Amino acid sequence: MNIPILSIITFLPAAGALLFIFINRKQDNLIRYTALFISIINFILSLFLYFNFNGQTAEPQFVEKADWIGYGINYHIGIDGISLFLVLLTTFLMPIVILSSWNSIQEKVKEYHIFMLLLGTGIIGVFVSLNLFLFYVFWEAMLIPMYFLIGIWGGKRKIYATLKFVIFTMFGSLLMLVAIFTLYSIFYKTAGTYSLNIFDFYQLVLNPNIQTWLFLAFGLAFAIKVPMFPFHTWLPDAHVEAPTAGSVILAGVLLKMGTYGFLRFALPLFPDAAKKFIPYLAVLSLIGIIYGALMALIQKDVKSLVAYSSVSHMGLIMLAVFALNLESLEGAVYQMINHGLSTGALFLCVGILYERAHTRLIKDYGGVSRQMPVFAAFFLICMLSSVGLPGLNGFVGEILCLFGIFQSSKLLAILGVSTIILAAAYLLWMYQRVMQGPLENKKILHFKDLSLREIGFLVPIILLMFFMGIFPKPFLRKMDASIEHLLNQVHRAETYVVDKKADRKPSLDISEIDMNHNTKENITETEENE
Amino acid sequence: MNNIWTLLPILFVLTGSVLVLLLEVFLRREKKEYLGFISIIFLLLSGISCVLFWNKGLSFFNGRLFLDKLALLLSLLFIIGAALIILISMKYLSLQDTNHGEYYSLLLFALIGILIMVSSTDLIIIFLGLEVLSISSYALAGLKRSDEKSGEAALKYFLLGSFASAFLVYGIALLYGASRSTDIFSIINYFQSDSTQSILVISGLGMLIIGFGFKIAMVPFHMWTPDVYEGSPTPVTAFFSVSPKAAGFAVLIRLFGPYFRQITDTKNIFTVLWILSVLTMVAGNLLALRQKNIKRILAYSSIAHAGYIMIALCAQSYYSLVFYLTVYFFMNIGAFSAVIALSKKNKEYLELDDYAGIGFRYPWLGATLSVFLLSLAGFPPTGGFLAKFYVFSEAVHKGLTPLVIIGVLASLISVFYYLRIIVYMYMREPSYTFKIYENNPALFLALFICLYGVIQLGLFPGNVLLFIKQAVASLPF
Repeated sequence: MNIPILSIITFLPAAGALLFIFINRKQDNLIRYTALFISIINFILSLFLYFNFNGQTAEPQFVEKADWIGYGINYHIGIDGISLFLVLLTTFLMPIVILSSWNSIQEKVKEYHIFMLLLGTGIIGVFVSLNLFLFYVFWEAMLIPMYFLIGIWGGKRKIYATLKFVIFTMFGSLLMLVAIFTLYSIFYKTAGTYSLNIFDFYQLVLNPNIQTWLFLAFGLAFAIKVPMFPFHTWLPDAHVEAPTAGSVILAGVLLKMGTYGFLRFALPLFPDAAKKFIPYLAVLSLIGIIYGALMALIQKDVKSLVAYSSVSHMGLIMLAVFALNLESLEGAVYQMINHGLSTGALFLCVGILYERAHTRLIKDYGGVSRQMPVFAAFFLICMLSSVGLPGLNGFVGEILCLFGIFQSSKLLAILGVSTIILAAAYLLWMYQRVMQGPLENKKILHFKDLSLREIGFLVPIILLMFFMGIFPKPFLRKMDASIEHLLNQVHRAETYVVDKKADRKPSLDISEIDMNHNTKENITETEENE
Repeated sequence: MNNIWTLLPILFVLTGSVLVLLLEVFLRREKKEYLGFISIIFLLLSGISCVLFWNKGLSFFNGRLFLDKLALLLSLLFIIGAALIILISMKYLSLQDTNHGEYYSLLLFALIGILIMVSSTDLIIIFLGLEVLSISSYALAGLKRSDEKSGEAALKYFLLGSFASAFLVYGIALLYGASRSTDIFSIINYFQSDSTQSILVISGLGMLIIGFGFKIAMVPFHMWTPDVYEGSPTPVTAFFSVSPKAAGFAVLIRLFGPYFRQITDTKNIFTVLWILSVLTMVAGNLLALRQKNIKRILAYSSIAHAGYIMIALCAQSYYSLVFYLTVYFFMNIGAFSAVIALSKKNKEYLELDDYAGIGFRYPWLGATLSVFLLSLAGFPPTGGFLAKFYVFSEAVHKGLTPLVIIGVLASLISVFYYLRIIVYMYMREPSYTFKIYENNPALFLALFICLYGVIQLGLFPGNVLLFIKQAVASLPF
């Protein structure tokens, strides 16, 4: 297999964007069809990744390596069981968002699709990079198209929202850049060669003090991206002002870059520091869950309601990530995909309503289901998926997350369950006020039900929701090995530190060292000792 | 040892300059553009001679003037820069009614000054070069004779510039008084052997920092920058924002390279540089936030960039410094070229409000300017990012993490005002429209070269970086 399939998937959208430069700006439909075509091809290509992915091994697959600038800066990409699904999610959502903006984007169509496709490349690049330089390049470069998407096609306060988004994100990522430099320098001082390869950094043994600072720098960047309470304030603004497609991508995949960052970098690179901060981070996640949900309850604007629900849901994912056991991490990754689908779908539904009424205030609606029965059904399914109804995808993810959290802390799990109850409260209440009840606003009488195009982009999501709710196995089994490997990495470092202590104090009783370790860790420990 | 060919690059520029002056008399006002072509031809010749002398190590005047790899590399950069400036000025001069033939001649003279500055380690020779550069610069700043602001710029530049020169001469005199030499290596050697006179060396070096700090627009010696940049004709501003600054840094490399290497106790000077760097980055970026005029924004941004480059100086990482300068040449000249493109007969559009909606009315221009601004802000995959990457990573490697944290936070501030220009270009509806003068192939060529440079250096800097590393590695310290 010599075809660089992963590179093709990463750069195909950008190549498409370059192609648009040569298309006349008046040919809007040609541009739309080309963009749709490219993104569908990309999705089909990424399916190839899924079917050829070997779930038995944690090694990165489809690896491509090439010299680039040198001194550790190389082109090195590959995917494992975690990034596979995030890449798939991205390529799956791209054609959907392009289809969803068919009518709503009438001005500057060419630029819109150029930025959309560039955004696709940026996001996929973040998930496939195995070199920290490359990762950072994609991580930052992806800001630019998003900045334009919100800033040009956004709502009334678009400039405020887009600048806030960029400045917040960059604040975190610039500090992360300093941390990357530090790692780069430490690696050079210990190994004598330059490297920015993530696997080389996994081998590094850092002293706990440095780990603390580096973890804080990486963690801040990712926490802003997720966003975790109290760094979430950019999110409602960005979501509310962004065009529908922007919101879908933002909620669907951009936020996952934060959780992915924790899984790929912050936790395995700095396990000791991570252990130290996990209690605090878990509390912040919990606050995020409850705060986001309460804020969602009082929103008057449908879109900001969905945005705050995002804060709440991402809180649960983060709580599961910090529980650090097999169930919770699989649940977290699964829930990342679910959240991408269900919140993305909710934003699409809100977008459909907005295209008809040009208002997002809940009080302007009421009784819409009478005019739009088909839409009502779709909307209901998306909402129930977000609430976590059994049979739909959200249930599987949330239950796995909560099982995992329960294992590590019963109290957190008990409080964390509130996410489901509160989600049911604010979403069902919203549904009731928007879709049911008396039809007071005369404008609603003119609403048309879903067009074929709208059904076209909602159906794939709905099908996938059911599929993931009923057959989670094809997804979970592909990620088992990677997640186990991740857990080993996080726990191995702990054993290392204990070993160190043992070296320094030989009198230490061996039973103290061995407390709390399950068999898996013992195996790694013996390996280390050999 | 003495090889007369050493003078060749300078002689080519000088010939071009004199020839321009001679021909100027015979050309009618509208035909003065030909002088630009003549200048470019001589710049090309000079550039080619620089390339041919690579690895030759020529020197003349008993080693007072020499062409080591760093001198050649920087000379080439300056020559390319000057050629770009000439490309962007040709139409501008006739459009803005400043079509004087002396312009090209003065620009070439300024270039000669810079070439002398970078090819010597003798402070007197460096001072001579600096004065050639400065005096031509004062005249260039005031070239828009009918414009009061241009006159103000020239006078301000002249007064403050001579003040700075005085500091410089005083510093040289102090150093000479102590060490009886004006050659940097002898001075450093002297102080290495005799540390009792450290007051003299510290104050002498301090004066030199002030003198060159003025040229590179380092806070607190930056006061002239915004006014001079705003008042001068725009291509001249572009020239000021890159060439004298880079020349100043080239001299600082030659001065502090051996200094940091050989003197054991460098703490005082290092602290001074550290503080100046922080001041320059923070003040430059903060002051830029409030500006409404694009030339003033770019003026403050150029101050801030001097601050980032000083981080490299503190870290003693000269290859990252030279790489930053290289990228900075392309992105800053590029940004100014785009500003120049936005003009018509007797009118320049320099206020932020003029930029509203430009991105869609002139998509190519808007996109190009956006790339330059994003590069200045340090977004990947542009050259600006890689330049910052090298400077910051080297500084962290040398243990200057606090300085780097201040640096990245300062560049976060800069993101705000660079993006504000893009906000105007793409996200604001224009309240009035105008047509720009579009028949300007030379300018578009310059824009293209700069764009190419920024992207090439951002994605595949390979060979350029290699040459820079060679040049820095060949330095005697």
